[in-house]
Amino acid sequence: MAVRLRGRPAHAPGPTYLSYTPNGKKLVTVGVNGALRVFQHGSDNEPAIIDVLTDGHTAVASTNDFIVVGAEDGSVTKYSLLTNSMEEILVRCSLPVRDVSLSKDGEWVAVASDELEVKVVNTRDMTRILHLRDQSRPVKNVSFDVSGSTLAVSCTDGIVYMYSLSSEQPTLIKRVDGLIKTLETDVEVSAKVAWHPDGRAFAAPTATRARSDWQRHKAFSGGHRADISAAAWSPNGALLATAGVDKSLCIWETRSQRLLKSYDDVQNAILAIDWHPTDNVCSYTNNNGELFIREDFVPGEHAKHLRIALQPAPLNNDPLSEISGNARKQLSNGDKPNGARRSAEDQYLDDLLGPDAMSDDEMDFIEDDDGAGYAEETNDVGKRSAVANGGRPAKRHAPFAAWKPQVHEAFQPGSTPWRGDRRYLCLNMTGFVWTVNQDTHHTVTVEFHDRQEHRDFHFTDPYKYDKGSLNEKGTLFSCRPSTQTQQRAVLYYRPHETWTTRTDWRTQLPVGEEVTSMSLSESCIVATTSKGYVRIYSLFGLPLKVYRQKSMPAVTCASWRDYVMTVGNGLVGGDGTTRMLYTIDNVRRDELCQSEDVVALREGTELRNIFFSDKGDPCIYDTEGVLLILLHWRTPGQAKWVPLLDTKTMDRLASGRKDETYWPVAVANNKFHCIILKGGDVYPHFPRPLLVDFDFKIPVSSFPAGAADDEDKDAAQQKNLEEQYVRASLQHSLASDLVDNTNATSAQKTEVPVMEREVDKALLQLLAAECREGEERGMKALEIAALMRDRTGKMLEAAGKIAARFQRDILGEKITQLAERRLVGLVDEEDM
Amino acid sequence: MALPLPPGLTPSEVGFLCEMEHVTVIPRQTLDGLELLGGPTGALKPPFPTPLPLWLALLLKKQRRANITPPPWLSVDALTQILDFETDERTAELFSPSPNLPPATTTAPLEGDPYLAHDSLELSAPFLKDAATARAQADALPYHWLEIGHLLITHAPDDFEDLDAVRKLLRDLREVRMSKLRKGFEVLDAGGGVKMNGVGGMEIAEVRGFVGGVVDGLRKLNRSREESRKERETEERENGFGSSSYRDDEDEDML
Repeated sequence: MAVRLRGRPAHAPGPTYLSYTPNGKKLVTVGVNGALRVFQHGSDNEPAIIDVLTDGHTAVASTNDFIVVGAEDGSVTKYSLLTNSMEEILVRCSLPVRDVSLSKDGEWVAVASDELEVKVVNTRDMTRILHLRDQSRPVKNVSFDVSGSTLAVSCTDGIVYMYSLSSEQPTLIKRVDGLIKTLETDVEVSAKVAWHPDGRAFAAPTATRARSDWQRHKAFSGGHRADISAAAWSPNGALLATAGVDKSLCIWETRSQRLLKSYDDVQNAILAIDWHPTDNVCSYTNNNGELFIREDFVPGEHAKHLRIALQPAPLNNDPLSEISGNARKQLSNGDKPNGARRSAEDQYLDDLLGPDAMSDDEMDFIEDDDGAGYAEETNDVGKRSAVANGGRPAKRHAPFAAWKPQVHEAFQPGSTPWRGDRRYLCLNMTGFVWTVNQDTHHTVTVEFHDRQEHRDFHFTDPYKYDKGSLNEKGTLFSCRPSTQTQQRAVLYYRPHETWTTRTDWRTQLPVGEEVTSMSLSESCIVATTSKGYVRIYSLFGLPLKVYRQKSMPAVTCASWRDYVMTVGNGLVGGDGTTRMLYTIDNVRRDELCQSEDVVALREGTELRNIFFSDKGDPCIYDTEGVLLILLHWRTPGQAKWVPLLDTKTMDRLASGRKDETYWPVAVANNKFHCIILKGGDVYPHFPRPLLVDFDFKIPVSSFPAGAADDEDKDAAQQKNLEEQYVRASLQHSLASDLVDNTNATSAQKTEVPVMEREVDKALLQLLAAECREGEERGMKALEIAALMRDRTGKMLEAAGKIAARFQRDILGEKITQLAERRLVGLVDEEDM
Repeated sequence: MALPLPPGLTPSEVGFLCEMEHVTVIPRQTLDGLELLGGPTGALKPPFPTPLPLWLALLLKKQRRANITPPPWLSVDALTQILDFETDERTAELFSPSPNLPPATTTAPLEGDPYLAHDSLELSAPFLKDAATARAQADALPYHWLEIGHLLITHAPDDFEDLDAVRKLLRDLREVRMSKLRKGFEVLDAGGGVKMNGVGGMEIAEVRGFVGGVVDGLRKLNRSREESRKERETEERENGFGSSSYRDDEDEDML
């Protein structure tokens, strides 16, 4: 990771600051030189540059449309992000500006300078200025809370002044003494107060404090050895990122104040941190003019913290604490904010603001003078969510994110995201396809595991293919439509070998349609598109079928011979995410095997990969590390997901020393093939790691492998046999399904009786174990004997022999009876 | 006429024997199973890892038809752990233990260890399976560790993640263990013994010449003393007198 991380030289060496726009599209940095830089999120392109007259910038704050920059010459200037040009100078101080803070609606900007007073300027009308004069020394930092009604002013005398700006005349509501250190205004150490996104607490560079009683509540301690230089809450308040002047960078979990991760690859002291509002990206700038955009900032196992809804601040005596542990309840509260939670919030605010602010009508609680400014962001259909129209002051809802169902993102099975300038387009048991970004074009390399059968090839790719699929027959690529070159989305298929001249072909999708996932099988090509269509082509580019997917938007697809499995987002489940639904279709016979059945994923887990096993059964692997196979899927309505392996319970992890996860590749030869990922990686990287295989182990029971004494060993052996029985029965039913429903080869047909024998063998061993235990276990032993599948009677004979060997005569008699009943055709299953 | 070779296996013979060990190979092309004298080999089908005898694996590796997966104990982590054990003060007297024996397949006729019973057939090193395949135990050195490590490093250097570290660790291990063995020589005497649990085949072959020579020489010296004593005793019995000065001379000779 340290290799990958390189700073972007944003400005001349010196203190540099940054700010994300609230919509997360842009990132603005300011530094000592006379230029501002505007980075586009998610793009590696050179940033836009705004040349300015000032230099030595000390602070920046941004809204979606404009930014406010403070400089050492005392000016605070407003620049438009729409035109990337200066709009006006908002205020001029006589001494250097130290910090600026924008209220959430962008209406007011608070300016801290070396002057004694803090100015709060209206960004539209610079003549409207509020002066805050209660502090006795220059102010180091200012910070608006999320509602914009309270301003925290961190003064160099070590006191945080809390001003209420809800009325025309700002009032000092609290001096918080002893929280921050006394500092000089120009040191790197920060005293900035970071408000928790739920508005009830803030973090200052020593502790967390609740705003209801201004008491210190929780401390995040133990991560830094020197003073804190920057801190930022994640957008939902579940995590806190802090940086110290000792060049450390830490992530904390809010609920437990636990240190989640500490980065040690920071080279210069970080002066400003900002989280991306939606993605797992955090950026920071240091005192050397560099900007670091850290993708996958929160390590994979903790990334779920970022996706959950707004988290309550960690307060002592929190009346909500009993629900804060449960993310789902939390969410449903956010869903109807007029519930209990709201009243608790009101209580806090009322306590805080005193009788003065408690006017009769809550609507007047805060003067919403601008009408729209305080309201929450509109959602993506361009309307405010219903919450905002609920007759309550919109401003009050701002801390609570509007609820939206979470949709599973589309992914291409077997591909990895960009890391550096390369990524895998496809990685499977045939070979691997990777692409290298050369800015103007990509270069694609296809390598095979079997070098004799196929020859590796390599080509320059002007289309910039972003998806690939590889099998024994050929390689399939697709690229996005491009608005610049009017290029439409293209599917490109390149067969490995032909007996005529090469017959690779390209086909263009209709305008505006994009491939979201695709799959290549031995007989057809499947592509799901952004318009919700499933397009099926033959291997020679002949469009066979187009149909609208029932559950949209599509997540992914997989195919095996004529079976096509498409996965899409279905209805919303109880946890606020959509349920993934799959459909399995035989495109040649035009039969639906399974229609809109559920992909059984536990709450909070995601699909990591989907593929068909070498025997043609669909398998999924989820982010919890469980491999599941679909049983009885050829009969409509009968399909069920059976776990084959829970990688978290594997023996190799039992010692607890290994920190590894697995990236699924395939299920073949009755083994799970994967790539071992170490150190919190989520995807495999270069150089290509080796494939590793693991045997299946159905999670029947968890028993420590290294059992010490004999009794434990016996019990472990017993559990092992039980697992073996369940696994053998599963494989038997998979094999017999295959034989019953397809034109199976003779090898497949002989496999069924072999599997049957395996099942009976496991049962015989279980029976022997029961007999050894004693006479009193006879009932269980008989039950085991009755489970035998063999109809020739040989297995039951063997069972009788085992009973005789252990001198369990009654059991032996009963087994003989059972064998006789079976022999004459009395079906014992009916009896039970 | 017998070959004029020292008794026991020479290092090159031990190196040859270790080539019968199975290693895990990732084939790069298909190959049907072979019927070999040592038993049939599995069919090779890329990219499924298959166990093959080391000699065949090296042959395929030279022809660039396969990659060899180093056994788990040949990783930097495992070797470091074993080296720590070897150099730890508390276990300074011991060699790191050899891999665990597989659970007994036959039952002992009486209560007891089937490995010690005379009439049960249980395999132990160097006949253990999977000593050098991908399934090998990670925290123990098998019998042929030195030879396999050497062969893999020389012939399949590109299959190691961190070749130099592995080479260095193997060298360290070898030196630590040899010095322990040499320490054992100090107590070599007619009745002396060195506990050599966990010592590998090549290490035995290396010290065999020296230790065998010393013990043999001691035995020869002792034999002359024994024989002379016997002679003397018979003489004494016959003549009925002894000579103390004669005995002193003999003692000086011994020094």
